[in-house]
Amino acid sequence: MALVAHSRHRMVHPVAWWAWGIGLAAAASHTTNPILLVLIVVIAAWVVVERRELGAIDAFVPFLLIGLGAIAFRVVMTVVFGNGIPGGTIILDLPSVRLPSWVAGIRLGGPVSLEGVVAAAAEGARLATTLACLGAANALASPKRLLRYAPATLYDIGTAVVVALTFAPQLVELAGRVRTARQLRGHSGRGLREVARIIVPVLSGTLDRSLDLAASMESRGYGRVPALSRRQRTGASSLALVGAAGVVAGLFGVMSPSIGGVFGLPTLVLGVLVSAGALMVGARTDTRTAYRRDPWRSPEWILSAMGAAVALSFLLAESRGIPGMALAQVPLAWPELPWVPAAILAACALAIPATPLPPRLAARRRGLTHVSPPQGEVS
Amino acid sequence: MLLLTTIVGGAAFLWPFFADHTFSEVHGQDLPWLFAVVLGLLALVLLSQVTSVGLDAKQVAVLGVLAAVGGALRVLSAGTAGIEPLFVALILGGRVLGPGMAFLLGNLAMVTGAFLTSGIGPWLPFQMLTAGWVALGAALLPRVTGRAEVALLTAYAAVSSFAYGAVMNLWFWPFLSASAAPTGASFEPGASVLTNAAHYGLFYLATSLGWDLARAIVTSGLVALASRPVLRTLRRAVRLAAFADA
Amino acid sequence: MIELQDVAVTYAGAARPTIAGATLRIDEGEFVLVVGPTGSGKSTLLRCLNGLVPHFSGGTVSGRVVIDGRDTRDHRPRDLAEVVGFVGQDPMASFVTDTVEDEIAYGMETLGVDPTAMRRRVEETLDLLGLASVRDRPLAQLSGGQQQRVAIAAVLAAGPRVLVLDEPTSALDPVGAEEVLAALHRLVHDVGLTVVLAEHRLERVIHYADQIVVIDGGRVSPLRHPADAMIDSPVHPPVVALGRSMLWSPLPLSVREARRAARGLRGQLGHLGHLGPVEAGGPVGPLGRSGHVSEPGADGPVTTPVNNEPTKAAVGTHVTVKRDGIVALDEVTVSFADHAVTAVMGRNGAGKSTLLLGLAGLLRPSSGSLRVMGQDPAQLRPSARVGVVGLVPQDPGVLLYADSVADECRAADRDLGAPPGRTAALVREIYGELPGDAHPSDLSEGQRLALALAIILAGSPHVLLLDEPTRGLDYAAKGHLVGLLRRIANAGTAVILATHDVELVAEVADRVVVLADGQIVADGPARSVIAGSPAFAPQIAKIMHPVPLLTVADVSAALEPAS
Repeated sequence: MALVAHSRHRMVHPVAWWAWGIGLAAAASHTTNPILLVLIVVIAAWVVVERRELGAIDAFVPFLLIGLGAIAFRVVMTVVFGNGIPGGTIILDLPSVRLPSWVAGIRLGGPVSLEGVVAAAAEGARLATTLACLGAANALASPKRLLRYAPATLYDIGTAVVVALTFAPQLVELAGRVRTARQLRGHSGRGLREVARIIVPVLSGTLDRSLDLAASMESRGYGRVPALSRRQRTGASSLALVGAAGVVAGLFGVMSPSIGGVFGLPTLVLGVLVSAGALMVGARTDTRTAYRRDPWRSPEWILSAMGAAVALSFLLAESRGIPGMALAQVPLAWPELPWVPAAILAACALAIPATPLPPRLAARRRGLTHVSPPQGEVS
Repeated sequence: MLLLTTIVGGAAFLWPFFADHTFSEVHGQDLPWLFAVVLGLLALVLLSQVTSVGLDAKQVAVLGVLAAVGGALRVLSAGTAGIEPLFVALILGGRVLGPGMAFLLGNLAMVTGAFLTSGIGPWLPFQMLTAGWVALGAALLPRVTGRAEVALLTAYAAVSSFAYGAVMNLWFWPFLSASAAPTGASFEPGASVLTNAAHYGLFYLATSLGWDLARAIVTSGLVALASRPVLRTLRRAVRLAAFADA
Repeated sequence: MIELQDVAVTYAGAARPTIAGATLRIDEGEFVLVVGPTGSGKSTLLRCLNGLVPHFSGGTVSGRVVIDGRDTRDHRPRDLAEVVGFVGQDPMASFVTDTVEDEIAYGMETLGVDPTAMRRRVEETLDLLGLASVRDRPLAQLSGGQQQRVAIAAVLAAGPRVLVLDEPTSALDPVGAEEVLAALHRLVHDVGLTVVLAEHRLERVIHYADQIVVIDGGRVSPLRHPADAMIDSPVHPPVVALGRSMLWSPLPLSVREARRAARGLRGQLGHLGHLGPVEAGGPVGPLGRSGHVSEPGADGPVTTPVNNEPTKAAVGTHVTVKRDGIVALDEVTVSFADHAVTAVMGRNGAGKSTLLLGLAGLLRPSSGSLRVMGQDPAQLRPSARVGVVGLVPQDPGVLLYADSVADECRAADRDLGAPPGRTAALVREIYGELPGDAHPSDLSEGQRLALALAIILAGSPHVLLLDEPTRGLDYAAKGHLVGLLRRIANAGTAVILATHDVELVAEVADRVVVLADGQIVADGPARSVIAGSPAFAPQIAKIMHPVPLLTVADVSAALEPAS
């Protein structure tokens, strides 16, 4: 407690949490070993519980549910269509239908093998775990905070999104009031026709407010920073075009090595870099400043290092064919645990001691326990 | 730039039909993620290019508010099968705002929806692009007025509902292509375009036709009922906001 | 600081200028009040001051507007951000971000203020407007007064020396308005800012003003001393109305000044009796409400029987309502008579709106029973309910969906099962002619209220509920509403209004019910409940205290037999 209190409660830079979450997600997408997958989910869940950003919507559980849905979907598809796994253990024999040849002679139903179902579930679990990691990133640092770090070239768009996020709850409330008002005019407020009726007053109300908002923004200096000069703009535009063209060419090269040869991947990478550069060029000349940015210090470095390490170790382990990265399908066997990637993965749980407790969570815990004194008195 | 993004977007969705056999087998699982990243980046570059002239406060406010309408509708309707009034906002908003702003609106509405639910996932770049297309399409439809416009937009709403579903399903279809894929409805690396198209067709029929049908009915119904007053309200707002000064 | 030379503004398509002949010189540190009826061009004048007119709203400006040496012709509003701050009516519509601190910092971010300086200024501004305790709260959770102070803080952070405010308190309740005005007062006196403010509730602000500009029909007066300006101003608070009718000179502007001037008057009317202490349902003063005609435009004497067993149009018995886990109404037993206007008063959150929603059948009590004309309103189908009870909501705009007034009236006839043309006829009766092809959003507040009221009345409800009907109305529109509500009540309807507006209550209400924390704390004839209450007494009652008279008309009527 004393250690954390000394370093004062602060928010960790959102980009760091996203690097951590995406690293885990990338790792998850390179294994079908259920032990590793479960370990990833457990670590993500634990860190979310200890370090989540209160006040933001908790995205972890919904993402987890979507993931479970993905597993169920894969299994059902496998049961209905069957798959190519030559499994011997038949657990269910459905009546089968063979479709005519114009739909490629597909067989529906028929015997369902345990091996096939397990393989499908493992594939589903891989997707589910990847999603869970992204859900964790959403819960640890709300995307809204991430928005503040968008490059200045996206300033207008960022502002539009901020405006949208500010307005949306007001809209929902307005829609509720309009619906109530429908009842005052003798309507039930239900049904498609009613929905159509509600749209107009909600829309005209919000559009009127949008003009007020624009007046307020204009009066407060919005748009005062001159957009890029013509030369800078053409520069940025041509850079963007070259980058995008590079990406297109690179992608086709990568996908069809027979045409693109070995240049596919380098072109793609180059294209991506140039595109990112186009984003940064404009940002350099921008004079707008930012209020109270989260600093990037050791916790942030540690988090992003963890993300990179775990993603890299899984990628290498899979490409080297280290046993235990993939689930053995035929015959089914309990997988062994690849120790090195697993250890690096376990180290990701150290994100908890490495980062300070977010202020709101800290405040809530103090409120709940009434044991710890207020933060000022500790240090 | 819009064209290039569209090409990359098209590639992102359609690669399973054209990609090289060996490549797809090795990297089939990674490609959707790769595309999510590349497409996301390109979308950002595109957005920055479109706005590099500088949007004025009114444009930002109108876009922001309409995106809020879209995003809020998306949140409200989350989980209700097929009821996606978001499309109404995209189509009618896009129709009034003109092509460039329409594409932005589609992008922003999806981003806003994702932010509101804290639901930034790999699907977001694909949704942004597709929603941008939907709004763009509405803006590019021929100019007609009165009943003809209502009819046109209603038909477009139905068509785009199906198209959106079909295109969006494409992006995660390749996830089924691993060794444990269900036969017949899955992506088969190296198989002919036709085979894969047939497989995809079956996959689409089996998984999302029902949802898309519901969405098409709701969206076109709403457009038919609401488009006249909504368009008039929107046009009034755009007119009010159009005191552009030199 | 601010210099206007023969400024006229003409909007595109308008036949004549919206404002004309504005020549003003406002020095540093002045508190200038802009007064005038709705639609007289107040907003246009204010928007000229930071260049929103013509750069943002369009229109052609002739003459010159120079602020701190910068001509608005060459400077857009955004270029004037650190010279003039502009605050509008609805704070929520002006917010870009969603927390207090971010909102205050937003303007400085766009101006490119250095982060260290920005941090310091945010802290200073938070303290200056008393917002430090809510600094990290979401804006949507703040009270109206706090929100408006954040809006002021947000423009102040950029460091302007002039603050222009367009009706900043008209959407606020009295407490919120008081907070905002007190903050402005401090900014003028302690910080030396120049403030230009438009406001129609003059009783709230007139005593703060150093100078007044009167706009009537687009003609802009020069700067005048408040007491001089009020002598012939088309809009004026009740205290000025009393002073004008009594021919007092100099004209008193505050209750305190008027009490001094009214010493003789109080003695002259002393025979009307003294006011006893106020109790819930306590004794009525000797003068009944029905003693005289107090409202111009009422068709005939008000003959409302106050204590003669009136018919109970709406009855609530032990009503408890829980909303979001909070008890909004707590065992309330109340009844409302027809042929009468009842005002429901109380703080924000006291349960006024909840009571109205319950009576309108939009909320179901968690226990107890509500009966309107003997029926449970929540059980009725919406189509049947409109003939029993009608509610005009706080924001009448939510009732309007059509894209023109004429369409709106036709749709209302269909919706409410009224014969075609009834709503349009009601609009004419209530307001006069409204332009049939106008978009409802383009109407003034008063016109919108009239339209909404006509729609609700088209259903011929026995009980008419109004939630805060005078928000944003000027004195003329309010006077109109008073006459109308009296006529409706005289025709047999039970009129129930929830309001903060004590002057309205003084003019129109027969009975007042005061709610606090979901319970009834006072219930009785208007005169006895509000006249002696420091919180709810109207200006005239404060001036005449202890003589129980509430309005200027009361005073004139009481004088008549004497003279």
